[in-house]
Amino acid sequence: MKRVIILLTIIATSHLAEGKIDLVTLPERDSVQLTIYNSADLTLVREQRSLTLKKGWNWLQLSWANTLIDPTSLSLEPLAGGDKLEIRQLVFPARTQQVGQWLIHSQISGKLGFEITYFTSGLSWRAFYMGTLAQDEKTMELAGYVRIANNSGEEYENAQTRLIVGKVHILDQIAELAKRNYPYGSPIPVPGERGGFGRASGRDLRWAEVDHGLRQGLSCGYGGGAAGFGMARPKEIKKEGLSEYFLYTIEGTETIADKWGKRLLSFEAEDIEVESLYKYDEERWRGQTIRFVKFANDEEHNLGETPIPNGNVKIYRQADDLGHLSYVGGTSVKYIPVDEEVELNLGPARLVSVEPTLMVFKTDNYRFDSRRNIAGWDEIRTWKIEITNTRELPIEIEITRGFGTAYWTLVYVDIASVADDAISYEKHDATHARFTLKRTPRSKWTFGYTVTTYHGVREEVMPK
Amino acid sequence: MNSKKMTLMAIVLLLAASGVVQARIKLVALPERGATVIRLDNPQWTLIEEERVLTLQQGINKVDFSWKGVSIDADSIRLRALDHPGKEVTLLNVSYPPNEAALVWEISCADNYAENVRISYLLRNIDRLITYKAIADKPETFVDLKSYLVLRNFSGEDFDKARVLLDYGEAFEQGIDHEETKQMLFLKADKVPITKIWTFDAAKLPWDPEKLENKNVGIPVSYRIVNDANSGLGEFALWGGKARLFQDDGQESTIFLGEDVSGMVPVGEKMELYIGDSRDIVVTQRKMKDIQINKVENNNDKVILYDTDEVITAKIENFKDGAAVLTMIQHIPGEWDMEKCTVDGKEWKLGVDYKKKNANTLEFEIKLPARDEDGPAAKELMMHYHRRHVRPR
Repeated sequence: MKRVIILLTIIATSHLAEGKIDLVTLPERDSVQLTIYNSADLTLVREQRSLTLKKGWNWLQLSWANTLIDPTSLSLEPLAGGDKLEIRQLVFPARTQQVGQWLIHSQISGKLGFEITYFTSGLSWRAFYMGTLAQDEKTMELAGYVRIANNSGEEYENAQTRLIVGKVHILDQIAELAKRNYPYGSPIPVPGERGGFGRASGRDLRWAEVDHGLRQGLSCGYGGGAAGFGMARPKEIKKEGLSEYFLYTIEGTETIADKWGKRLLSFEAEDIEVESLYKYDEERWRGQTIRFVKFANDEEHNLGETPIPNGNVKIYRQADDLGHLSYVGGTSVKYIPVDEEVELNLGPARLVSVEPTLMVFKTDNYRFDSRRNIAGWDEIRTWKIEITNTRELPIEIEITRGFGTAYWTLVYVDIASVADDAISYEKHDATHARFTLKRTPRSKWTFGYTVTTYHGVREEVMPK
Repeated sequence: MNSKKMTLMAIVLLLAASGVVQARIKLVALPERGATVIRLDNPQWTLIEEERVLTLQQGINKVDFSWKGVSIDADSIRLRALDHPGKEVTLLNVSYPPNEAALVWEISCADNYAENVRISYLLRNIDRLITYKAIADKPETFVDLKSYLVLRNFSGEDFDKARVLLDYGEAFEQGIDHEETKQMLFLKADKVPITKIWTFDAAKLPWDPEKLENKNVGIPVSYRIVNDANSGLGEFALWGGKARLFQDDGQESTIFLGEDVSGMVPVGEKMELYIGDSRDIVVTQRKMKDIQINKVENNNDKVILYDTDEVITAKIENFKDGAAVLTMIQHIPGEWDMEKCTVDGKEWKLGVDYKKKNANTLEFEIKLPARDEDGPAAKELMMHYHRRHVRPR
């Protein structure tokens, strides 16, 4: 059901000031295109309508009651014959609300095509993903979806639907602009309404869940031309980079009723080689070992066609040969550019642990000032790091250790006799070292290091 | 259409020169408002000039000017005789009656005249805004720029017909009612060249994306437009206003790129419009060394002065399909000197390869090629510097 219509009234006037109404028409939209953003509550609507103009002055009235249209974004452009038409002004009449009138001077009479563009609030989309790990967790299938919701108060029938991936800068929330009493505000402050052109207080749309939107199946085709002969197929989504954005154009057209949602498959990739990566960093995760699944958004991993938009990810694992699944965990993924590595944080690891133990603490090399106060010293700590991998899979682990000072040196200590794997560390930044190592399935392994930190005048022993 | 309420009254009181001081009598004549000018050249105040015909008699005339429902700066009200200025029609004084939005002009007149006068005053709550709409071409080399004038009248007064004047351009006839808003195109410039700028300011953006736990660091992206003849502009200063930028998508449609608000841009100056953030350029900046050297101690062996030995590295990766030039702003507080600055191991010289914006701010322009089949284009900036004569806190 169409709840709200945009009323187009053409008022041809012999004398401008008299406002004599000659003609009222209600032209249907010829076509409509929606470009929906996900970083802001913003949709660019572009509709084409055929209007009958008379030679001379014409008033074209547009009303948008009960919608979430930003009146400051309204734009009217002729599709052809622009040199015969002059759009003189857009008037928001006094003592009326949600009405705009264009004053058009036409040198010709007859039916002409126009394009009306505007911003609306209330349409939104988001990306989300489902990953299914193989039993050996060496590969993963990944399916990306987009889910569109319409809470705009307007029904869009057979709309070409496009989605924008990217972080757009806006000054005012469209929903706020839509609710203003006066389109451009008033020089007199109106209670509860912000003046003119301040900065937006927040930019993320609150996603309104529309549960019955899930009635739309994933792979049953949505009409509008996608189905062809024989078996229907899911619609394709064409992806293209523009400026700092990616534009997803959904094949054919969509009808998105008010308060409904729709889910579409964005991409599917199989046999993505993944690494099981574990990280340990007390400063970030308070002693927990965190599990990651690591891959890259590139061709080598059967991906890399476009960036991956940020969204939630649900990771499953093939539980057996019969296709049963087990749920591994959910996380969110940030925007991943093409060729960048992806690390999906699956939360605390249950089967891999890292346990640092302080084995030796001593101080040394005291220096005293002329008053015999302590002026410098070294602190020497020997740590034992025990890594337990109870999984049946080999793992990679990254351990970050912070020293609280930029004055430190580190040497390995052969605590355990096991030395089958070379470990290495790199200076991560001035105050941290990072160890990366690979471990075999079902193994326990220990390594050690001694870190010396220099304090007071002993800082000077640090190599320049 | 004349449904407006009359809120501004010019009342002429003709007083017999009897010298009688009396209570003011209202409404003797109501001269029609003639030519009206709305002057919007001052962004804060709107000046209204209106012409009226006053029937003046020889001797002293008192003209009562009162208003209601409008906000007029009483000190701004001026009266000028147009037909017989000077000694024939002379404004003697202005008095303000108590507790009224009104004033009384005392005018000396040499003869009986139907005098055209111009009354001017500053009226609140009628103003103009400027908005811009720009559509960039697909390769982002130029924009088609349109600017709109938005007239807002919330003054309480209807203006049937007025000459509207801006600080440049032709005046135009326009009527505007109270609570009415009108939007008009007043500037159109096609193919205005633009420069696209990506900026990483180390004082404003996070250094290490890894520490953000699954959030992207957006690198701000701006378009720069120069208000000069080369751009097809440069005839006048561009007023400040909200700008909305779109881009031709190559499919006979556009996408919305972003919006920003610009200040006034004088001729020859640049307008920079921030449109959004790029997440395809990633900067990972870390301080790799930060130690004290050249320490000086006092008699109590306490360090009172030292230098620092600091190393900062910034890895810049471009995951975009196209090349980009990243403007990188770095800050070094206090007194300092650069021991060595390299990009990809090659030494960069201050004043040649990078510049000092002020005593503590450095600006680097890092040219990033497009991503290729081997992966993102990456460059590494390294700054090895010393802060000098630092006093412990």
